[in-house]
Amino acid sequence: MTGFVDLYTEGDTFLHRMDPRVKIVAVLFISVLGFILQNLTSLLILLVLIFLLLFLARASFSRTMFALKFVLRFMILIIVLWPIFDPSGLPVLATLGPVKITEPAIWRGVTSAARVGCLATVWYILMFTTSQRDLVRALVKLGLRFDFGLTIAISLRFLPTFSALYDSIKDAQKARGLELERGSVLRRGKSYLAVLVPTVVSALRTADTLSLALQSRAYGASSKRTYLRELRMRRSDGVALGVVVAILVVPALARLVFQVPI
Amino acid sequence: MDIRAGEFLAIVGGNGSGKTTLAKLFNGLLRPTAGTVTVGGRPASGRTVAQLARIVGYAFQNPDHQLFCSSVEEEIGFGPRNLGCTDAEVASRVEHAIEAMDLNHLRKQPPLSLRLGDRRRVSIASVIAMSPRVLILDEPTTGLDAAETKDLMAHICKLNREGSTIVLITHDMKLVAEYAARVVVVAQGRILLDSDPRGAFSDPEILRQSNLEPPPVTLLAHRLSAHGIPKDVVSPQELVLRILMERGAGR
Repeated sequence: MTGFVDLYTEGDTFLHRMDPRVKIVAVLFISVLGFILQNLTSLLILLVLIFLLLFLARASFSRTMFALKFVLRFMILIIVLWPIFDPSGLPVLATLGPVKITEPAIWRGVTSAARVGCLATVWYILMFTTSQRDLVRALVKLGLRFDFGLTIAISLRFLPTFSALYDSIKDAQKARGLELERGSVLRRGKSYLAVLVPTVVSALRTADTLSLALQSRAYGASSKRTYLRELRMRRSDGVALGVVVAILVVPALARLVFQVPI
Repeated sequence: MDIRAGEFLAIVGGNGSGKTTLAKLFNGLLRPTAGTVTVGGRPASGRTVAQLARIVGYAFQNPDHQLFCSSVEEEIGFGPRNLGCTDAEVASRVEHAIEAMDLNHLRKQPPLSLRLGDRRRVSIASVIAMSPRVLILDEPTTGLDAAETKDLMAHICKLNREGSTIVLITHDMKLVAEYAARVVVVAQGRILLDSDPRGAFSDPEILRQSNLEPPPVTLLAHRLSAHGIPKDVVSPQELVLRILMERGAGR
């Protein structure tokens, strides 16, 4: 279950060591690039580059498959559904009542799927090479208000806790004869109430205690916050940023200014 | 291991020793990876938790994990209703459970706003109402003061006398010495010892392996063993008696 919540995998590759701010900027840039590129070939080249990064970051195959399983299903859905709902273009390959399958529509579907693949994989790389603490720290350094950063960090931190809590409560109610998988939808909904109410009450109690704990450690005593760990840009981070900017700017210029159809 | 009808058994062990895991096997919340669990003479595999809950009741450590209704009565009635009892049957079981846990004065209150000791009694009552033949209590006395503990244990002993099998999960050795007739010591997922409290406490080494310590009165008896006091003392009264006997013999 925690795999869902935190994709981060310990590692010591250059992607793990990179300044998280650079990584966030890089991911944003590559996402923008994914939208700028319209040509299937260029998108596939981008996808290959992204997978190369995945490989360089020593992503474990099984974890990657687990994380990207849902994206893969989504991509297949796009490829299947796109031609069905997009009757434009010629030549028409098949007609089935009101449904017209055209060759350009098929390619458009594949292109969109490739785009989704690029975006998902690049964000996945960010999530699995950057710990949540670093991510939040970088966001705060990039200008996010500190309280918001803390809120995000705490929410992320408590997701696995609440998931364990939920499981425990489900067991407790099962021990009282609750059967969650039986009965009509309405009855099942009512059954889940027996699990949800204690979960919410416990969560609220936890939140209450947590806020007291924060206050007792003088949270918010001084408006200017200091940091135990400062983020520092190293030369390699500068180089990486330069490369990323180039990766975005060159194709963007080529397409938007010089009208190269990529 | 076998648990016989009517026993008062304590499963003891340090944190993470596997006592809760062991107990969860009894009502099917966990299933064994090897070996079999037999409940009431029939294998547990193939029976759902809801079916096993008729025989084996399990009161969780944290009562807040079980409580969700707007009144104590309703809360206690939840289990029997899940078992498919008729309204009249539910009402009579609720009465019985309320009486067993002495909750009459709280019956209309919302359970989640009660104090911890009362919340725990409600959660145990809600399991009793399902009339299980075996009642598993997971650390029922954590967070209770001396009076609340005594009160709760008195109610549980009464259930035991009425024929319920009690499985108490705890690391409170005083509780074990006072109430349990049989002790199962668990460490690192294994049963180290299965005996009466006297046997379990006479060898502190085994308890230490499970991060436990005999109750203070037994430790005192161990210190006094050079003066002829036996090592298997489990109650203050007994120690006093032994010391008096020893002095009488010495004179």
